[in-house]
Amino acid sequence: MSERQKFNVIGKSVKRSDMLEKVTGAARYAGDLTLPGMLHGKLKRCEIAHANIKRIDTSKALALAGVKAVLTHKDVPHVLHYGSPHPRSASVTKDQYILDTKVRYWGEAVAAVAATTEDIADEAIRLIEVEYEALPAAITLDDAMAAGAPVIHDNGLEGNRVVPDMLFKRGDVEKGFAEADIIIEGNYAVGRPQPAYMEPNVCVAQWDGSDKLTLWTSTQSAFMVRGTLAEVLGLPLGKVRVLCDHMGGGFGAKQDLFQHEFLCALLSRQTRRPVRMEYSRKECFLGGRSRHPGTIWLKQGFKRDGTITARAAKVVFDSGAYGSHAPGVTAVGASALTSLFRCENVHLEGKCVYTNTPIAGAFRGYGVVQTYYALDIQIDEAAEKLGMDPAELKLKTAVREGDIAPSGHAIVGHGLEDCIREGMKAVGWKERPVGCGSAAYRTVSPADGAVRADALPHPTSKKVRGWGIGCEMHGSSAYPGIKEQGNALVNLNEDGSATLLTGAAGLGTGAHTALCQIVAEELGLEFEAVSVVHGDTDIVPWDIGAFASHTTYMVGTAAKMAAAEIKQKLLARAADQLEVSAGDLEVEGGFIGVRGVPGRGISVRDCVAPKLGIPAAHLFGSGTYMPTKSYSFGAHFVEVEVDTGTGQIDVLQVVPVHEIGKVIHPIAAAGQIEGGIQQGIGHTLTENHEIDPKTGRSLNANFVDYKMPLSMDMPDIKTIILETAPDPGGPWGAKGVGEDPIIAIGPAIANAIYDATGVRFRHYPITPEQVLEGLARRRHV
Amino acid sequence: MKRNITTTINGEARELAVETFHSLLDALRNAAGLTGTKKGCDVGDCGACTVILDGAPVCACLVLAAETDGCNVTTIEGLQSAPGSLHPLQESFMMLGGAQCGFCTPGILMMAKALLDENPNPTDDEIRFGIAGNICRCTGYTKIIDAIRDAAVQLRQEAKGGGKS
Repeated sequence: MSERQKFNVIGKSVKRSDMLEKVTGAARYAGDLTLPGMLHGKLKRCEIAHANIKRIDTSKALALAGVKAVLTHKDVPHVLHYGSPHPRSASVTKDQYILDTKVRYWGEAVAAVAATTEDIADEAIRLIEVEYEALPAAITLDDAMAAGAPVIHDNGLEGNRVVPDMLFKRGDVEKGFAEADIIIEGNYAVGRPQPAYMEPNVCVAQWDGSDKLTLWTSTQSAFMVRGTLAEVLGLPLGKVRVLCDHMGGGFGAKQDLFQHEFLCALLSRQTRRPVRMEYSRKECFLGGRSRHPGTIWLKQGFKRDGTITARAAKVVFDSGAYGSHAPGVTAVGASALTSLFRCENVHLEGKCVYTNTPIAGAFRGYGVVQTYYALDIQIDEAAEKLGMDPAELKLKTAVREGDIAPSGHAIVGHGLEDCIREGMKAVGWKERPVGCGSAAYRTVSPADGAVRADALPHPTSKKVRGWGIGCEMHGSSAYPGIKEQGNALVNLNEDGSATLLTGAAGLGTGAHTALCQIVAEELGLEFEAVSVVHGDTDIVPWDIGAFASHTTYMVGTAAKMAAAEIKQKLLARAADQLEVSAGDLEVEGGFIGVRGVPGRGISVRDCVAPKLGIPAAHLFGSGTYMPTKSYSFGAHFVEVEVDTGTGQIDVLQVVPVHEIGKVIHPIAAAGQIEGGIQQGIGHTLTENHEIDPKTGRSLNANFVDYKMPLSMDMPDIKTIILETAPDPGGPWGAKGVGEDPIIAIGPAIANAIYDATGVRFRHYPITPEQVLEGLARRRHV
Repeated sequence: MKRNITTTINGEARELAVETFHSLLDALRNAAGLTGTKKGCDVGDCGACTVILDGAPVCACLVLAAETDGCNVTTIEGLQSAPGSLHPLQESFMMLGGAQCGFCTPGILMMAKALLDENPNPTDDEIRFGIAGNICRCTGYTKIIDAIRDAAVQLRQEAKGGGKS
């Protein structure tokens, strides 16, 4: 790859391929489908956190006019399966049934109904009678890990462990702590935010005359859904077809296979009619997937110059009632602590535990949100103790080229250092107004060596301001947890246009557009000449799913390989036609030209189809790419204002700096960053799915009580994207960006609150009440 | 019990048979076959189902279908004046990254249209306030606000007879 390579299509914010449909209301989501004779399905959910089902009486429901089928655990295959569809990877665990004889969280489905209308299905659900034998429940992590705790899954592991504990170690932490000048130790706690995708989980199932199941569903992982459905329902793979055109967000959680997807298929099989099932918003909270709540104990040793001599951590994640992604999230989250800020001696323990609460699953940032929240805040704490500027300490200890990443790979480039430096420059970090926090580094203030008067709150004002910096890195692809594979097929059409077939999901990120840009760039076509086919497991090449920031990185490389194969065939044909050597040809804007001879050449269309409309040959290319891993980096600079009278925290501005290699579509990349910041602000300040610690009941399963940052809450965001550390594994050096932006914003806010108030928070969400308590405590010290 | 209503939807008088307890949202999506209007919560919390009812933006999930007998409803499918002729808001959302997953987009576009109909030259704060009831989980709102601001400029130029720049 030449540094000065000229690009015609990538790096430009072309009009996204999915936009026209989306702005006209024509885009079809799974829930928009209506089929002749379609029935409506609903789930009966339990209202108890842990119980055996003694008896289910469905007779009244079945007697209701319009009810066509009712299913309970007695009527469905009893096959243990993975909740998360990476069945051959180490990141998941097999612990779910479609419907079980036991319920393990308040809101778990115990029966399903299909009826001619939604209203009748709702009524039928009410008529199902369930008698439970209540079991003692373990709602909190402490409950679940206590001696004699109720056993949630009888998997032979003590203390409700999902899998045996994990250990990631390097060097000698004891020696490292012995060499330290200061040691900082703290307990950090993280809440239970929800992905809160706008499109509720929804699917439509239909069986055809050959006993083949077609499922339209909102999923990030159509092929995983196909594989797991086939396995659990005992069908050959060829008898399951999964379709998903557009989807209204997923953010990781829609990788899992949900109860309604199995039950909708089974209701449809039993009734021989199509069945549609859609979660209510409340059901998205109850039956969806949250981020893993948990606790992180973290201890680090530092030399006076800031060198980190040792890092020890104990990460405990609450998986909820089923394993879903807990093993993967725990491994990725705990092992992430080997990196970001350099340290030779690490000893990191990871544990994931079942509780009788709704299931935690995959969610953007995958364990790293939690552990880097703790790590970054603790580096801020260290900076104060060492009398250093926090940004300087983070820059000094930032991971750099050649360091070993959590995946075991050597880091490429100096992305994190670049982000920190660039952000410090952009916000005028060294000249920033001084917060009211009592941080020691504040005693050495800018310019005149004294606290700037204009930075202090106005005598009558109760509002104080502060700045914080947070850092992150995240991998593109899930390697080494999963050995992934990206595939692409490209066909050249008789008019010189190309069609890309991809299994990558249309999650809403713009990834399909990026893939088309990559094909157009490689093949020398205009962007508009490349169209995309996706979302049908019977047609497109196999795909593992849209997650782990890997679509552009991994499928993008496969698409580039496929385009390169066609280009080679195309140039060979053109060389014959033009009687020149293929090596002398180049393609640009749909024209194959002879290098150095302006005007001499042939259009792609004439090369493919000399007789108009009839292709002379089927020109296609395929690409398969098995990536290892690359890392993207980010540093967020945040200014907050805290009202010391009410405890209200306002994020005033965010300057996110991200290093993501070659940018394929700048607006889409920035959109990922800004959307991630929105979710991260929510995590840090307001979002928490509250579960009653006594009953396990959800307390805020709606969008009024579960408060997300909306248009009035969002700060100005001045996004800066760097391309300074391209990765050889991605197309033209491109890396992922989806996961990264949600990680750094949290600690940046927490650090800014400290700068503003002098109150250190080691958990999220940080509420106004806690701010007031913190300020009151500080006044008493 | 079903009731027959006649509602003008996107300029066309539609005779619909609706259950008396069904929402305008369900009537649009099911009886009228207009699935562009989305159901994100069904209780008026998310704004995804925003349509314009007799000139005012409403959550279609909070209006009974039967109440709209004789009313005028504009949905996302009626935002463009003719096929191939997009509303400036649609152009701006496409070009400036105003949509990602697209699920909140129809509601936000209709709310933005109502905003610009009432206030052709809004400040950024007025835009933020205008769409305060519409949840978007993908964009952080930055590019939605850019797009509405940009469309407002285009609409003002069109109103002055200047056409698109």
